[in-house]
Amino acid sequence: MVEKYIPASKKEALEVLSKHDCYIVAGGSDLMVMKKNTAGLAPKFDKDILYTSHIDELKGIYEDEAGVHVKAGTTLDEVLNSKLAPALLKKAVSQVASANIRHFATLVGNLANASPAGDTIVVDFLLDAKVKLESVGGERIVDVENFVLGVRKIDRHPDELITELIFPKLDYSGDMWWKVGSRKADSISKVMVAGYWGIRGKIVEKFALSFGSVSIKAVRSHDIEKEIIGLSVSELKARKNEFIEKYGKIVTPIDDQRSNAEYRHKVAMNIVSEFIDKVVGGK
Amino acid sequence: MDKFKTSTAKVDFPEKVRGEAKFTDDISFPDMLFAKTVRSTVARGKIKKITLPKMPEGYHWFCADDIKGENVVNIIFSDWPVFAAGRVKFIGESIGIFVGKDKEILDKLASEIKIDYEEETPVYELTESYIHKAFKKGDYEAAKAKAVKVIKHTYETGYQEQAYLENQGIICYFDENDKLTLTGSMQCPFYIKRAVMRSCGLKDDEVRVIQPAVGGAFGGKEHYPSMIGSQVAVAAIALHKPVKMCFERAEDITFTTKRHPSHSEYEALIDQDNNILGLKIRVGLNGGAYKGCSGVVLSRALIASSNAYVFENLDVVGDVYMTNTTPTAAFRGFGSPQTIFAMEMFIHHVAKELGVDPLELRFKYLAKQGDVTANNGHFHDPIVLKELMEKAMKMSDYKRKLKAYSKPGCNKGIGMSIFLHGCGFTGSGESDIIHGKVKLVKDEHDHVYCYAAPVDFGQGNRTTLKKIVSNTLGLPEDQVSFEAPDTDHTPDSGPTAASRTIIIVGFLFEKCAKHLKEIWKSGERQEYVEPYVGPSYIHWDEDTMQGDAYPGYSWGVNIVEVEFNPVTYQVSVLNTWSTYDVGRVVDERIAVGQADGGLLQGLGYGYLEEMKCVDGRMRNRNLSDYIIPTFEDAPHMETAFIDNPFIYGANGAKGMGELTLVGGAPAVALAIENAIGRKISKIPANPEYLMEVMKHEN
Repeated sequence: MVEKYIPASKKEALEVLSKHDCYIVAGGSDLMVMKKNTAGLAPKFDKDILYTSHIDELKGIYEDEAGVHVKAGTTLDEVLNSKLAPALLKKAVSQVASANIRHFATLVGNLANASPAGDTIVVDFLLDAKVKLESVGGERIVDVENFVLGVRKIDRHPDELITELIFPKLDYSGDMWWKVGSRKADSISKVMVAGYWGIRGKIVEKFALSFGSVSIKAVRSHDIEKEIIGLSVSELKARKNEFIEKYGKIVTPIDDQRSNAEYRHKVAMNIVSEFIDKVVGGK
Repeated sequence: MDKFKTSTAKVDFPEKVRGEAKFTDDISFPDMLFAKTVRSTVARGKIKKITLPKMPEGYHWFCADDIKGENVVNIIFSDWPVFAAGRVKFIGESIGIFVGKDKEILDKLASEIKIDYEEETPVYELTESYIHKAFKKGDYEAAKAKAVKVIKHTYETGYQEQAYLENQGIICYFDENDKLTLTGSMQCPFYIKRAVMRSCGLKDDEVRVIQPAVGGAFGGKEHYPSMIGSQVAVAAIALHKPVKMCFERAEDITFTTKRHPSHSEYEALIDQDNNILGLKIRVGLNGGAYKGCSGVVLSRALIASSNAYVFENLDVVGDVYMTNTTPTAAFRGFGSPQTIFAMEMFIHHVAKELGVDPLELRFKYLAKQGDVTANNGHFHDPIVLKELMEKAMKMSDYKRKLKAYSKPGCNKGIGMSIFLHGCGFTGSGESDIIHGKVKLVKDEHDHVYCYAAPVDFGQGNRTTLKKIVSNTLGLPEDQVSFEAPDTDHTPDSGPTAASRTIIIVGFLFEKCAKHLKEIWKSGERQEYVEPYVGPSYIHWDEDTMQGDAYPGYSWGVNIVEVEFNPVTYQVSVLNTWSTYDVGRVVDERIAVGQADGGLLQGLGYGYLEEMKCVDGRMRNRNLSDYIIPTFEDAPHMETAFIDNPFIYGANGAKGMGELTLVGGAPAVALAIENAIGRKISKIPANPEYLMEVMKHEN
């Protein structure tokens, strides 16, 4: 028999977590599917459940010198309608599932479930997002790239609650979001690519790319980015194929019921090519 | 104003909008038990031993040993057992059911049962033909002498899942008179009745079937409910308690019947003036583990294999192959979507190879009234196909766009399919086999009740049939009601299948209403039963496949405009324009509903919907992996109808349920060809396939 906890405040929630290992249910749009049972029977939760969607202090988006903070209970629809949320994040959010799911699914939930096909995780990686975790013992902040460990694996201790996702201020001149799904809505991604760039004079000053649905977790290569940053636009143009090949090595998709490895790889590389064209095109 | 065509409110709107309609899983009885199926985990083998878990009190196991009648599902060819008897032929075949009160305990029992198999090597390739059909027109071999060129191509189509909203489910219980009664998600109440009579060894007056609200069917509920109906009936009779079995989505997608995958080879003989002298057509269908209705699907696939074109010489052969996979069966279109796709692509590919305009080549062979059909029957009725094409081309600005989009690199494309669909049962089946009847009852208040077997699973039968009666009688619509089929009170007007509801049952109601009008006495209870009498000139021999294949034909044209993304190989369907000859429409809004829904399902079949079967297992088990188009994927659609009244139809109406699906796949595939400048020979033309196609130069 599993216990269900409905804490009145964040403090109470942290106290529950200090004593019990729980599933934390915010929107529930992922968990309720994962724990699906035969119609008419209760979902198959095998440990206690902590509900958080009603806790007001866990909701909202605000800005300070560290960047834009999206609190854990904020729904995707609220992100979409926020003036503060990064534009690229909003682009990605607008294509997650369907409008009705976006009204109860949360941005942090998408990250916490750590699906290799989690759309917004790709943007979290690209924008150097930081995860704030709190427990009765204190708080810690982890870089999102280190926070996601693998398929549905994250660096959260059982007594911790994710309370915020923080997007530091980034200055860039152009960005791009590609979600390649099986259809136009209600679609689980086959490939995702997010990217931004910045050009000053004729030098590539900023360059970042991250990928989703092509590995056990979202992928970003700081090494390749370092090689590109500082090149002149014409050098990047000339070395385009070399960099596509390098990205080709870190993108390692699989065959599954939704697509195949070759398609995912080929499309990811086509997008890298498009992206570099755009960067050197100066737009 | 045409009173027939003017749209009326669908009678089922209020109950569905308010959530009041009772679907199978909404229905419950006191003491009702649930059933859970235990399925084969191997694709082919003998069942050596079944070891039951410890059974708690009140829980029961039923299998082949418990069947009192014949252990077969009563389908056209009855080779599929109700419960596997000693051997299994596909992964997911029903071996038995656990029955009891608590679903959780049933799930546990199903996970604990042990079944030992002696496995055999399964067949997955199309190598073992178990149904073979052939027919000829003219003399193909002799025509070869005049040919200067032979063009050959091969086409493939995949599975398609019906993806109805409501999963399969049946409840068997005892009515107020203690009579064995079944209710559930169904298309054909009398099919279930006869299946249960046969499997349970019961007489005609011992089984009753009542139809509740049904959420979609598309052919998927034509035969399969006969199986689950038989299974729950076996348990209900033994326990004398109501038993319900409703499938989960994964169970439904993985183990219930779907559309036959196909492999077709087309060969054309060409003379020195670029005329097509004849076609040689070879069609192979994957029938899965059991034959069921596959023979009829093959028959209809072959009849449609030269589509709306008339050629002098034809040599047509088809086979259905046994594989150790989920059986395939009825699905909107019933064999013709596969061959119409192949024929539409082929005539286009032939034109391209000959360097002639595909449109001109198609015009040259279009069927006309009086022409001899592929099966040496005749197109007896007027044909307005040319008008349909011209109208659709005008609506879509086809010629200009085709030219503009043929420039390399523009990534837009336009494609047109033209097609026909035979309405009603094959040949003279309506008069010779079905013998459909309808009944009208008028009460003392002059309210008229319509009794017939068609199931309204969303397509609008209850509204259209009632409308035919009220218009014929000249009564306000609220003075007529359509009663949901109940085999104790409804005459057997045949199954809800084969695009026959309007052309056959609607026609019967019109005649019945005319007769009732003649004998009408206000204030008196009266009833009239009308039996079907079809066109006397229709003759058909099923064994030789010679004669008139259908009592009548509906016709259509779809034009589809797409945009291709060369980075991701994805296709967006932008616009469609359709014209149809369905005789005369009975209700415009319902007709457009059929047209839009059918076309979207056909488009999905052509460019999106893919089901992969790997080692006998369906890999796409839910609706996030089996991709049907959403509202966002649906294009802007324009539809027009051209009147061509059919003398054996209610107010001239013919069938349209299946017609609207069959043209979607070739039209979207031809549009993609136009956009990418490369040949499509397989559907679904999804991005993974288009990536392969783009690797090759045209």
